[in-house]
Amino acid sequence: MTRTLYRAALGLGTFWLSAGLLLSGCAPAGSPASAPVTGTTPGPGVPSTPARSPIRISFLVFGDPPELRAFQQLVAEFQAREPGIVVELTHVPGPGEYRKRLAADFAAQAPPDVFLLNYRRYADFARRGVLEPLGPYLARSQVLREADFYPQVLAPFRREGTLVGLPQNASSLVVYYNRNLFDSAQIPYPKRNWTWDDFVETARKLTQDPDRDGVAEQYGLGTEVSLQRLAPFLWQNGADLVDDATHPTRLRLETPEAREAIQWFVDLRMDHRVTPGLVEEQAEDSESRFLHGRTAMFLNSRRGVPTYREIRAFTWDVAPLPRRKRNAGILHADGYFMPAAGRHKEAAWKFIEFALADAGQEVLAESGRTVPSLKRVAESSVFLAPTSAPANSRAFLDTLAHARAVPVHPNWADVEELASQELERAYYGQVGVAAAIAGMIERTQEYLSAR
Amino acid sequence: MSGESRRAGRPMGTTRRRPALQDTLHRISAWAVAPLFLLPLVWMLSASLRQPGLPPPRGVEWIPNPIAWSNYAEPFRLLPFGTYALNSLLVTASAVALTLATASWAGLGLLLVPPRCRSVLVALSLVLLLIPPPALWLTRFVLFRELGLINNWGALLVPALGGSSPLFVLLFLWTFLRIPAALFEAARLDGAGALTLWSRISLPSARPTLTAVAVLSFLMYWSDFVSPLLYLKSQQLYTLPVGLHQLQQLDRTNWPILLAASVLLSAPAALSFLWAQRHFLQDSRLGGTGEW
Amino acid sequence: MEDRLGALGGQALRRTRRAWGRADGWLLLTPYLGGVVLLFLLPAVVSTALIFARYDALAPPVWVGLENVNALRRENLTGTAAGNSLYFLALAVPFRLLGALLLALLLQRRQPGVGFLRAVAYLPTVIPEAAYALIWLWAFNPLYGPVNALLRGVGLPAPSWLADPGTAKLVFVFMSLFQIGEGFVVLLAALQEIPTEYYDTAEVLGAGGTQMLSRITLPLVAPWFLLIACRDIVLSFQYTFTTSYLMTGGDPYYATVFLPLLVYEEAFDRFRFGTGSALMAVVFVLSGTLVGILCVIHRHLSAEHER
Repeated sequence: MTRTLYRAALGLGTFWLSAGLLLSGCAPAGSPASAPVTGTTPGPGVPSTPARSPIRISFLVFGDPPELRAFQQLVAEFQAREPGIVVELTHVPGPGEYRKRLAADFAAQAPPDVFLLNYRRYADFARRGVLEPLGPYLARSQVLREADFYPQVLAPFRREGTLVGLPQNASSLVVYYNRNLFDSAQIPYPKRNWTWDDFVETARKLTQDPDRDGVAEQYGLGTEVSLQRLAPFLWQNGADLVDDATHPTRLRLETPEAREAIQWFVDLRMDHRVTPGLVEEQAEDSESRFLHGRTAMFLNSRRGVPTYREIRAFTWDVAPLPRRKRNAGILHADGYFMPAAGRHKEAAWKFIEFALADAGQEVLAESGRTVPSLKRVAESSVFLAPTSAPANSRAFLDTLAHARAVPVHPNWADVEELASQELERAYYGQVGVAAAIAGMIERTQEYLSAR
Repeated sequence: MSGESRRAGRPMGTTRRRPALQDTLHRISAWAVAPLFLLPLVWMLSASLRQPGLPPPRGVEWIPNPIAWSNYAEPFRLLPFGTYALNSLLVTASAVALTLATASWAGLGLLLVPPRCRSVLVALSLVLLLIPPPALWLTRFVLFRELGLINNWGALLVPALGGSSPLFVLLFLWTFLRIPAALFEAARLDGAGALTLWSRISLPSARPTLTAVAVLSFLMYWSDFVSPLLYLKSQQLYTLPVGLHQLQQLDRTNWPILLAASVLLSAPAALSFLWAQRHFLQDSRLGGTGEW
Repeated sequence: MEDRLGALGGQALRRTRRAWGRADGWLLLTPYLGGVVLLFLLPAVVSTALIFARYDALAPPVWVGLENVNALRRENLTGTAAGNSLYFLALAVPFRLLGALLLALLLQRRQPGVGFLRAVAYLPTVIPEAAYALIWLWAFNPLYGPVNALLRGVGLPAPSWLADPGTAKLVFVFMSLFQIGEGFVVLLAALQEIPTEYYDTAEVLGAGGTQMLSRITLPLVAPWFLLIACRDIVLSFQYTFTTSYLMTGGDPYYATVFLPLLVYEEAFDRFRFGTGSALMAVVFVLSGTLVGILCVIHRHLSAEHER
């Protein structure tokens, strides 16, 4: 019945559109209504024109302008090799907006032909059956083989035995640090096997509040307060995020190990005061403070590199996360995906294949944006001995050896959002740690139990 | 109520008889309106000229030192702001032209249909004005998708094909109702058709309303944030408000750049309003706007 | 020609002409009525239907009866969002009306510079909402923003504003008070519609300024007041969306999740068009009820006025 309604609306709309244009075209010249009416013809970019050549495919990415330039270069290199395929790059700045945008594109039945998506986010789309599994394409490829990729990076992109997407990077959480601030405070740079205590001590020494008003002029540390930032610290302390890593049914944060790790994380603010408070963070976020040389260490994945390379005022490098009972890192990998309803799947695959093979991975590695997911590129000098910062890119590969992935679950975005909200409340002292843990478990329950 | 009594106005009549003190107080408080309402705009301007990356100011900083005009170039460097501005201009210009045509047609149409139908339609229009726009987003999105209007300026311009807002139609109707019926009768006897009536008689006597509706619809489309957010996908099609939002996603606390871009977005709206303001604010003119 | 028509009789001629006029009228109304159907009536029908469906905009809708309505009743967030929206309405609408009335009373007299003052008072209203949100986001920045700088300057406490659930909504109310140009203009016109004789008579009877205000001015602008109130209620739903979307995203801890923000997230973030439609119905019913109440008051007022 709705179909018929749509059909009726369509007919009416067309009639009315043409009638409007026709009538306004008849308006006498000089009347205010007549002149710019021609501007109403639909704008460019209407994807319906069935041009025979070249094939146009759309590619959706997110990131800051320097990251965007890396993708622009990737597209340009591809274009030079495949003149028959035109890749239209669309860029959404924020990762949070990105998922909404992608969802809206699918809802509009106009998904991009190729898009990047984090492994923590694709399950929701896969469940709806709107993604084209890329495993069969990889199996047929002459250029790429499954064995070329890091297996622990490939694993989260597999769903029910099939590779749904293919990882473009193998990033993980590391500590970015401002060398100049370490130098002027005469503090040694972070070492490979530094501990939580070393970490806190360093951050304390680098937090400076000369006017003693409780609002530090320089902070030792900056971090997003979220479940995915907390996760590696939980693992390092022997705790788990969920009850069952492959089929999670609830968060498992009430264990003594988890409680201890969460308390330690919250104490970074509540006890040691080495990160900005809520109001300060809202006034200016930690990443901006780091960029402007007013925060000494900042937790981020590899994606910060292109932007930080534009810093002129100081030099910086990366260090692995500190450790506790064991080493653990968190995998941050984005993968290439294709929609099941794509119109140019072969062309889209050609682009993905190019981007994943050596040439494409080298372009992105040189831009600083990615830790290559292809072993031979990651372990080559392109990645490990770049001409610009960070000098210690090996830290990413070291972390990768013991990096873990969060569960791949259709509702994981909701779980992260709700749990992060509760964590934030504890982090900024609005509720106690025990209450926050209870809240994290309770509020995410509905999204994890069999749905 | 006669025109004269209104025009003579109570104000002139009563001022003379008011005590001097009360009168002065009134004047002073009237002038206090200016700084109060200019305050947010002054803050925007002054913050837009501050050099990015400086340590935060202590106290209110009215005139930044040094003045960083380069902030205004930054949005163009970070994002294709030039394209966005051009898109905004094209969309807005088309929408204004269409709105003037369709809203004035509808206004004249209401005048020409039998009075009974007219009152029903006027009532309907008033009811439509009482529908909160968010109550329609979702299904409009689905409808536009079926019509192939997603990622297409068509989705932004469709409301203009329908007069943009029932308010504009009513404004035209009220204007046309003041035209002596004899004028229409005479033209009809000469065999004039609907479009002739519209172009020869209705429009020439509705110039102030045309200006008012032009500016109001300009503001409506120029400011529109929700429609491009919901319906546009390709960056080449984006308009300025969405560009501003993109800029905010890039660095949400880079105030000088964000506010410089805000000035760029606000200036055309403010200038077009100032150009046409007498049509809204002159004495004894009834006006209203389609938005906040 | 005239002669022949004349012979047919004036009555018939007039009838023909009127019929033609009507046809012309309907022709001119076509785009507008098309817009009404496509943009208002059809969406209203579809959206009513979707209330009873599970629809993710990908697969065809599945009829589920009252499931969506029940889901909303279970969900705490619906109540929070409705509460936030009502909180905003309850504070913003009266203060906006009061502000518009004060402005109109202050700026109705002809005095040097009044044209300039009226333009200035209207100016914030024309600032595009995306830019307007950023201005206030900056102004209420708890550490660096000018609002707290002013407060600290005069020795007052500086709240955290948008970071504090207790004050976040107040920021939205406060900033809305500067965009009252529409109400101001309508009331300005309404004040000028009041015949001078009323005031002259009152003066002869020895009435003071306050009495004139309460006995003449206010009763006569009251209907306009209600009109603006209706419009304010309706538009506040759009207003709270853009501002909360751009400024807080619903934070801190759901203090600024207003109904339209929830509709947007439900539909365009979570693909739940069914519950989204049900929420839209809540928006519609809420605004409809409030407007209905105002209409009843209006009828009472005008009935009294008749007497």
